[in-house]
Amino acid sequence: MIDFVNRPLVRLLLVGIPALALQTTFFAEVKIFGVVLQIMLALSIAAGLAGGSENGALAGFVFGLMFDLVVTSPLGLSALVFGAAGWGAGYLHSRAIENPKWLNAVALGLVSGLATFVMPVVANWIGVEGWLSSRLTKVIVVVSISNALLSFIAVPIARWSLAVRRNQRLAPPAEAFL
Amino acid sequence: MPVYSVSRRRAIALLALSSILLITLDLQGNSVVHGLRNIFSTIFEPVQSSTRVITRPLENAWRGMTHYGELETENERLQDQLDQQEGAFIAALATVRDAQELLALNGIDNLADISSVTAQVVGGTPSNYSQTIEINQGSDRGLRVGMPVVNAAGLVGRITWVDNNRSLVLLSNDSLYAIPVQVVNQPDMVPATTTTTTTTPTTTTTSTSTTSTSTTTLAPVAPLVTAVVDPNAPTTTPAISTATSTTIDFSGVDFGALAPTTTGVIVTIAPGTTAGGPTTTINLDDLPVAETGIFRGRGIDNAPVVEFIDQNSRFGEVQVGALVITSGGSQSLAPRGIVVGRVIKIVQRTGTSGAVLEVRLTAKLTALNFVRVLLYQPVATGTP
Repeated sequence: MIDFVNRPLVRLLLVGIPALALQTTFFAEVKIFGVVLQIMLALSIAAGLAGGSENGALAGFVFGLMFDLVVTSPLGLSALVFGAAGWGAGYLHSRAIENPKWLNAVALGLVSGLATFVMPVVANWIGVEGWLSSRLTKVIVVVSISNALLSFIAVPIARWSLAVRRNQRLAPPAEAFL
Repeated sequence: MPVYSVSRRRAIALLALSSILLITLDLQGNSVVHGLRNIFSTIFEPVQSSTRVITRPLENAWRGMTHYGELETENERLQDQLDQQEGAFIAALATVRDAQELLALNGIDNLADISSVTAQVVGGTPSNYSQTIEINQGSDRGLRVGMPVVNAAGLVGRITWVDNNRSLVLLSNDSLYAIPVQVVNQPDMVPATTTTTTTTPTTTTTSTSTTSTSTTTLAPVAPLVTAVVDPNAPTTTPAISTATSTTIDFSGVDFGALAPTTTGVIVTIAPGTTAGGPTTTINLDDLPVAETGIFRGRGIDNAPVVEFIDQNSRFGEVQVGALVITSGGSQSLAPRGIVVGRVIKIVQRTGTSGAVLEVRLTAKLTALNFVRVLLYQPVATGTP
């Protein structure tokens, strides 16, 4: 049983389902300046920061797919963008020898803003109109700042969900030895 | 070991391709994707409901902190509006009843004939892009995908996903929402009393008449265009038997359908009997004409638009303030006559593409609490 729970995919679901429940209930109602906070996106990017690009891509895909299943946007759109965001965050993480909390917050904020911009662009490519608008700037700013603040919670949760051990976390990234 | 080995690259490429495949399947309306959404929702629903119960007090506390002043001001404003509208409501009740009788007499679908289910809004949209709400009624109460959702002000959206006891409503300002509508032009000045009373013993709805229009008084346009029928007005024919005035709301009546080729003639709307009872004749030239088009949402901060306007010479130029209502029809997901909004801007386009009308919705989609789902399905897919 413990082995089963320790599998990263199972842990991702264990984290993802309550997070999605919060996203669709609490965060759907509690808006900052009319903008919905995106904790699924925050967790996807945090997974990249905590576990590297591959884990980030996997976590982003899983969280994005779960999010797509409960909203009316095309299935796979969030999976694609969140997956890319997780991968990008993991890539950023690999460039740094150390990852202090403030740097994680900055990285999470920046990647969140980029992902929030990329989402309507991709939607526009596939024919979903109306997402690219002047309001997008406000959404990007609010989501970036809120996710940067959420990083102090999201990164430890992502570490647990990806079963990243302490010695792995404190060790320099593999890229440092290349 | 290199970080981006072939196997890792393959894994990441596989995830990206899977996403693209899912997007393609979903956009093509694949039933597997629909089934997947249903299965996930069934599993997820208990978790979501529990979370909603737990977080409700926190939501209420947040609303209390952030919206208290705003709510107080709005409450005062609404109280004033309520007082003003109380008298108008009573008059409107009689008008609606008369309009429904007229529609029934002419065999035209009537919104009042359609059963509905009242539902409470229990959730908002979890995304910053799509515009949806969640309501607490589902297939157990007869709700089906595609059914129109309205509130007291007008069209709200349509059901886009249904579970046993909850549903997702796609709001009419979402970019995926589209529906055929009619634009009812309203002249700046309308005849407030254009009346003629005859005793024509006929059951037909169109006929030329020998009667003449007796009085015509111009008055500023009302929110809903009305034709006031005064049976006591002098006419060229005898036997006037009615004694009271009746105000009839014609905003939902398709006069083009009643008499598509009778411009300039008098249409007689008579009870379905051959007795010598009073009948009322209305001059078509004085009534608003409807034009059809496609209404489409454009996201939260862009006004929805009406496109592909049919050019009807009798309609003339579309005017700002024109009423937009659903047009109905065998393929439409909404019955005719639901108020959508008013035209606020007309954007002319070159060539044959025609004008685009920007619309202000009558329903306030950001403050929905209770909504009504009309148990209506088009003739093409089910029984209305």
